[in-house]
Amino acid sequence: MSIVRLIARDELRLMARNRVAVIAVVLLVLLTLVAVASSWAHQNGIAELRGRHAHAAESAFKAQPDRHPHRVVHYGTFVFRPLGPLAAFDPGVDAFTGNSMFLEGHRQNTANFGDARQSSLLVRFGQLTPAFVLQVVAPLLLIFLGYGALARETERGTLRLLMLQGTSRGQVVRGKLLALGAVAMLAGLPAMIGLVGIAGQPGALALPMLAIALGYAGYLALWAVLILLVSTLVRRSRDALLALVALWAVAVILLPRVAPDAANAAVPLSNRLQTEVAVARDLRTMGDSHNPDDPHFAQFKQAALDRYGVATVEDLPVNYKGLLAIEGERLSASLYDRYADASYAAQARQNGLVDWVGLLSPTIALRSLSMAAAGTDFAGHRRFLEQAEAYRFALVQRLNRLQMEDVSYADDGATDAGADRRKRIAAHNWQAMPDFRFSPPSGSTLVGKALPGLVILLGWMAGALASLAFASRRLGARR
Amino acid sequence: MPPMTDPILIDDLTLAYGTQRVLSGLSLRVPAGSITALLGGNGAGKSTTLSALLGFTRAQSGSIAVCGIDPAADPDGARRHIAYLPENVALYEHLSAVENADYLLALSGERQPRDAIVEGLAAAGLQEQAWDQRLGGFSKGMRQKVAIAVALLRRVPVLLLDEPTSGLDPRATADFNALLVQVRARGTAVLMVTHDLLSAADIADRIAFIEAGRVAHEASASGAERFDVRALHARFQAGGAKVAA
Repeated sequence: MSIVRLIARDELRLMARNRVAVIAVVLLVLLTLVAVASSWAHQNGIAELRGRHAHAAESAFKAQPDRHPHRVVHYGTFVFRPLGPLAAFDPGVDAFTGNSMFLEGHRQNTANFGDARQSSLLVRFGQLTPAFVLQVVAPLLLIFLGYGALARETERGTLRLLMLQGTSRGQVVRGKLLALGAVAMLAGLPAMIGLVGIAGQPGALALPMLAIALGYAGYLALWAVLILLVSTLVRRSRDALLALVALWAVAVILLPRVAPDAANAAVPLSNRLQTEVAVARDLRTMGDSHNPDDPHFAQFKQAALDRYGVATVEDLPVNYKGLLAIEGERLSASLYDRYADASYAAQARQNGLVDWVGLLSPTIALRSLSMAAAGTDFAGHRRFLEQAEAYRFALVQRLNRLQMEDVSYADDGATDAGADRRKRIAAHNWQAMPDFRFSPPSGSTLVGKALPGLVILLGWMAGALASLAFASRRLGARR
Repeated sequence: MPPMTDPILIDDLTLAYGTQRVLSGLSLRVPAGSITALLGGNGAGKSTTLSALLGFTRAQSGSIAVCGIDPAADPDGARRHIAYLPENVALYEHLSAVENADYLLALSGERQPRDAIVEGLAAAGLQEQAWDQRLGGFSKGMRQKVAIAVALLRRVPVLLLDEPTSGLDPRATADFNALLVQVRARGTAVLMVTHDLLSAADIADRIAFIEAGRVAHEASASGAERFDVRALHARFQAGGAKVAA
């Protein structure tokens, strides 16, 4: 057996004979298993619930009787964001951003302008997920198991004992690293088993799962290196423990909590009320499709008459009210899109700022990587919003076209006793409407989004290993 | 056939910690199959000499060699030829006596079967019921016996001892001295830093007095003619007078 493995084996033997350490490892493994199971059950429950509600909403929409298409526009429908299998590992911002939208004519509702970045890691202390356990709890366990790995040898004089047997400083450090690395992998093993379970689910993508596995393995290995680095630099175990707990508190708790707040202060987002007031104000200046005397729509009317070569709207071969509805929806949607784009841009700048803080905290880098690969980050949320809006716009315009083509202008304005019946079109028209189907991103797209986090983690690892190699040259030297 | 060099050779060694000079031209040689006792007052440079031999401290000038290897240039290489018993024994408390010996011998590439290890522990005077007990409850003397066993089980050409009998009772000291004689008999060069004049006089082949960082006097025993303990004591107290063998 090589010297490095001998030292690693002894370090593991020391841990195995430390009752507190054994209990801590067992608790972490149990905690991770519980997190995997509960998160799995929770996400399955959510998926089932959303699927049921989505089906109910689709059924209700299609069950509408014969009626005027514009009533269907205002009847609206709900769409729900389906969760990918990896959301069981890391639900990301899903719990904070909302996952359903009411789609109706003339407006974009709900989550479009939600402050996704308001949530932070601290808020999620109540949410037990494998990602949370590995990001927050596992490093703390590694600290308690490894803080004295080298400081203890220096403090008790056994480092010299090792060196007197012809063991080099490098071999001692590598042996300790091997042992702590093995414990780190053991800590991550239950979560990785959970990932393997997810791999069997429909829709599970291999590449993002690989990125997640690599990211978490790298993160835990990085903590093992950081722990040994601190244990090398200080001469007393107690000092190593204090320094490492402080490092954990800053890197894992403080920075991930402060970074979103700082980003929010640097790039303020309008809240929902402010946005709705601003949109209403702009809509008034833009014109009202329901008001035929509106200047913009007067011009639009003339253009329509010219296009069809007729003098009055009554002579048009199509229902002018349908034309108006199509134009009005186009205008209001473009206005909402402008606000949504501004909000997305601001949130992207916030996320960019938070990602920069990832240079200081590997936990932030890992969190970005994890959520991006799981498809539960802000980009995933935005993907849902954009697809829902595209669906809403197409649905409303299709209904507007039905009004334009299947309801005559004369009937549309009539108020006689039979007018209401004549304005109606057949129910099969709604039944023929396509359902909303969320199109998930490809594996390579998700991994592409996760790459910056992975690169930052690799940078951290390279820096930590170089520092450890440098510090180990002075290990045990007189100071 | 090339001439055999002494396992320990120190020539004109000068060593300082910062501005404090500890060794000033120290020269010493310890032939194979001999015991040299290094005596001197506190701060004379005895432990620093051992530290330099172990490659933990680097001399400013002079030369030092352990089995032909400069410990400053190749400390790991030099240490492979050395067994060392420090004054304050550091061992692993989570391991038993046998496990400590097994681990340390394995690290030095000299792993031995359990029978050999327990034989070594017994030879060092550790009682059988303590062999498989963890060191957490051991007295200083018991720890020292484990360390002695490990040092002796390593069949290396050089044995360095720093106050080896300081934690032992008189009987254990006598047993230890008997062990050292056996070690010498198998050709090991033994350098022993000690204040124990009786032990030194009893088993050493040579006694070197260090004063002000250099060997002020050396004395050799020849055959059955041993050192005069009274003279040794007088030399130790006063310094300067030649010690008769």
